[in-house]
Amino acid sequence: MRVPSSPRLLRGLAAAILLLGAVQEAAAQEARRSGLEAVRNLRFPELEFRPPQAEAHTLASGVPVFFLQDRSLPLVTVYARFEGGYAVLPRELYAAATALPGLLRSGGTATLSPDSVDYLLDFYALQTAFGGGGESTSSSINLLARHLEPSLSLWGEMLRNPGFDSLEVEVWRDRQREEILRRRDDPGRLAFSEFNRLMFGDHPIGWEMEDGDLDATRFSRGRLQEVHRRTYCPDHLLLGVVGDVEWDRIRPLLERITLDWAPCPAALPEPLTPEMRREGGVFLIPRDLPQSTVVMAHPGGIVQSTDQEFFDSRIANSILGGSGFTSRLLSRVRTEKGYAYSASSLWTTPSRYEGIVGAVTQTKSESTIAAIRLILETMEEMRRQPPTREEVDRAIAQIVNGFVFNFQDPSQIVSRQILYQAQGLPVDWLERYLEGIQSVRPSGVRRVVERHVHPQDMIILILGNPKAFDAPPQSLGNVTIWNGGGSGAGAAPNGLAGGNGVSGLPRGAQRSPR
Amino acid sequence: MTGRLVSLLAPLLMGLCTASGLQGQDDPGLAFEVHEHTLENGLRLLILPRPGAPIVSFVVQYRIGSVNEQPGQTGIAHLLEHLFFKGTTSIGTTNPAAEVPLHAAMDFLQDSLLATEARIGAGADSASLQALREQIRTLEEQASAFVVSNQLDAILSENGARSLNAMTSEEATTYFVELPANRAELWFALEGDRMANPVFREFYAERDVVAEERRLRLETNPGGLLYEAHMASAFQLHPYGKPVVGLMADVQRLTRQGVEDYFRRYYGPGNAVVAIVGDVEPSRILRWARRYLASIPPGEPPPPVSVQEPEQSRERRVEVALDAEPILRVGWRVPASTHEDAPALAMLTSILTGGRTSRLHRRLVLGDRIASGVAASPGPGQMYPGLFSIEAYPRSPHTTAELEEAIYEEMEKLKVAPPEESELQRIRNQMEATEVRRFRSNLGLALQIAESASLFGRWDDAFRFHERTRTVTPQDIQRVVRTYFREDTRTVATLVKHRASSPEGSGRKGP
Repeated sequence: MRVPSSPRLLRGLAAAILLLGAVQEAAAQEARRSGLEAVRNLRFPELEFRPPQAEAHTLASGVPVFFLQDRSLPLVTVYARFEGGYAVLPRELYAAATALPGLLRSGGTATLSPDSVDYLLDFYALQTAFGGGGESTSSSINLLARHLEPSLSLWGEMLRNPGFDSLEVEVWRDRQREEILRRRDDPGRLAFSEFNRLMFGDHPIGWEMEDGDLDATRFSRGRLQEVHRRTYCPDHLLLGVVGDVEWDRIRPLLERITLDWAPCPAALPEPLTPEMRREGGVFLIPRDLPQSTVVMAHPGGIVQSTDQEFFDSRIANSILGGSGFTSRLLSRVRTEKGYAYSASSLWTTPSRYEGIVGAVTQTKSESTIAAIRLILETMEEMRRQPPTREEVDRAIAQIVNGFVFNFQDPSQIVSRQILYQAQGLPVDWLERYLEGIQSVRPSGVRRVVERHVHPQDMIILILGNPKAFDAPPQSLGNVTIWNGGGSGAGAAPNGLAGGNGVSGLPRGAQRSPR
Repeated sequence: MTGRLVSLLAPLLMGLCTASGLQGQDDPGLAFEVHEHTLENGLRLLILPRPGAPIVSFVVQYRIGSVNEQPGQTGIAHLLEHLFFKGTTSIGTTNPAAEVPLHAAMDFLQDSLLATEARIGAGADSASLQALREQIRTLEEQASAFVVSNQLDAILSENGARSLNAMTSEEATTYFVELPANRAELWFALEGDRMANPVFREFYAERDVVAEERRLRLETNPGGLLYEAHMASAFQLHPYGKPVVGLMADVQRLTRQGVEDYFRRYYGPGNAVVAIVGDVEPSRILRWARRYLASIPPGEPPPPVSVQEPEQSRERRVEVALDAEPILRVGWRVPASTHEDAPALAMLTSILTGGRTSRLHRRLVLGDRIASGVAASPGPGQMYPGLFSIEAYPRSPHTTAELEEAIYEEMEKLKVAPPEESELQRIRNQMEATEVRRFRSNLGLALQIAESASLFGRWDDAFRFHERTRTVTPQDIQRVVRTYFREDTRTVATLVKHRASSPEGSGRKGP
């Protein structure tokens, strides 16, 4: 298969993206109608596309707003991102900080009961989202353009003056207690969260909700108000707007939301750098299940930056196991051996400290050890048979030719600008990323793998029934029965995920091949 | 700010009407200008040009799924879905002339293996079984020398494809992918090739993959196991009672020849709908469709589903004992989604569990605080009389029995008094809002119009159904609850906690 030429990318926000192909269409296609030959003979016209760009504005309160008008549907979406979350607050506030986004939605406001808020959201056909990671929280509201004013007033009230209704607070506590009980019923999620605990120990990435976090001294209306006071202020806020509205029309409404809003009482501390486990070994959570869940990793050595090594690691991960069926891991573990439905590598690259590199799979008890060996061997092969020019070009082409999908929905453009600003990345980070990716060479990929991927040092967690394994787990190395140190052999999750610069495993999120 | 807000909102809080601004018009989906064409071989083509980024979504839906499967062959549609990514006589191979004959040789051995297993038992530790397995493995290795694994994926992904995947349901099998718009012709070249010349290579490994998928989705998932037991109990004859992924014993005995035959008969263009949504020019799309797809033989209609589930005359109950926290599933027999009561049943789903304002959420989660979650859904398919199910998670130490009682009480209330018009209006608002927002995704739209055309004959069927939900009255809701939500048509499945004696013990009891 012909590897498509790389695109030329004109720097700057006004760049036009030109995806190259040969200009001639149609010629000589009638001859062969299908099959590999026909596919190889296809020539594609250039794709010329000027991606829309978000405008950067600043409100009187100093809050930055990224704005992009899009008239395709009579809808407007407004995004808010607040810096601060449980990862930069003491453990006593863990439950309250985790609960905050959900209770902004369900807990009513200072003047509106939860029922009234629900009623108004339905009445105006609004869609809201409230969520958070360890280091930030976010919210969005999607509204019909003709109801801009009342919709934004309501949303602003929910963000600024939450009610934290006592019944809703109790219901949240109920649910968390129930989730703690039900944790062990989802093997994938349990394995991921236990791995975080194993790898990151008593760092927010490794924290799990425990009964103690939910007692009345640690989780209450007062605690919620405390977290809200410490994190929800204009100096922590970034806004984004996309949709069928003019800037002049929405600006005063956003001004009104942020008007007379005092800055936070104190600056938030820098997130702690985690002390990661560095010594390899095998850890076992015995469970009587017909399929084992396997998670393995070690510190990954790479941070997000403009260093060539960062880009090399992205392509290395794609070839090893980050890009599904075209990657080595899934090809070997699934396609060739039929050991698993899903097998993938992960190589996280937070911006402030190194991430982790490793792999994840699920396989029947009887192929557990063989599948682990195959994964380790595939990693080892990345050194012995380093990626070829063809593999590297294909991994690059996948990103380059699909680049236009970064502009599929205008809201992606605005969300990205918010994220870049929050993470201190340049506004043109996406373009720089694309350039960096295009400069990756096989030698660089080999070097980054040799430096940072060490199968013999993997920390391997297996959740499964060792009595049914194809070989004793001891054949992989020293085995420790892992009890987590939380509430029994099944302690676990909450919503820690990537995207906030926190580098643990996403809880329960699994790649889902067909 | 607070004061202003309250004064602005207070009058509205008393109001009953909608503010969504979407009522009283035709469903907005009906305004889409979908270009429809049918090729000579029966392939139906739906093209919806949309402005925006230069990207395009492709969907092919075949009207065949697990309901069409015969006993002993469960899972064949789903396995076929996987195998359809394995390439063709030219894609995925370096030497088809050398590779393909090896398939026949290993399939012959596989037939012998199945026959021997049937005679002496699959688990028997027999030298002859071992030898057969070994020979198959050797042939697979020989064949693999000619295989270029996942070449179809590689071609698409290096051309920038996204969302490449497929799904099998009770009634349909659907393939989809998105491409940059300038590469649209690639899709036709690849799809035409695999519709005409697929090769189901790497068969045995893929069958093992499906077994792993079954373990992942069902056998290690308490909710999945309970669902399977619930459907099996509610549908004792109709194929809705069998899982889409197939029964493990069946899956492990499916043969390549069986899958190939099934494909040749039923997966022709005459049984397929193609939906293309995005930055495309219909005339060009049509030209490519003719060039690449028109010469493929149409195939046969899917095997009919002649079995009807007999009337249910008394409540059925099934328990699944597992080392897991309890879950309740209650299901009532309801008509197919083509029935005139279907829009009212769809509204009922929202009345019961559609968000925070729904009745069961308010009663079980907020009021009695006996559940941590509750969800209602019609299912398992759409074309045949089905089951309206409610799944609920008791909050410890409350029991599934308490949840059951509360759910029945809420259903009785609807029998006594119809819902308020305002309650329905809120739901209509929610549904409108959800629908308009779904239009943002090309792929979502393509999936929806393909399914409407494939299952119900018209691309706009889902929009028309949606329009019908607007005319549902409170009395309709009361009537359907009275008609269908009876004790004698009910099937109740409960997951009963059965804790293992030790972490390594064997406390697990399957359904």
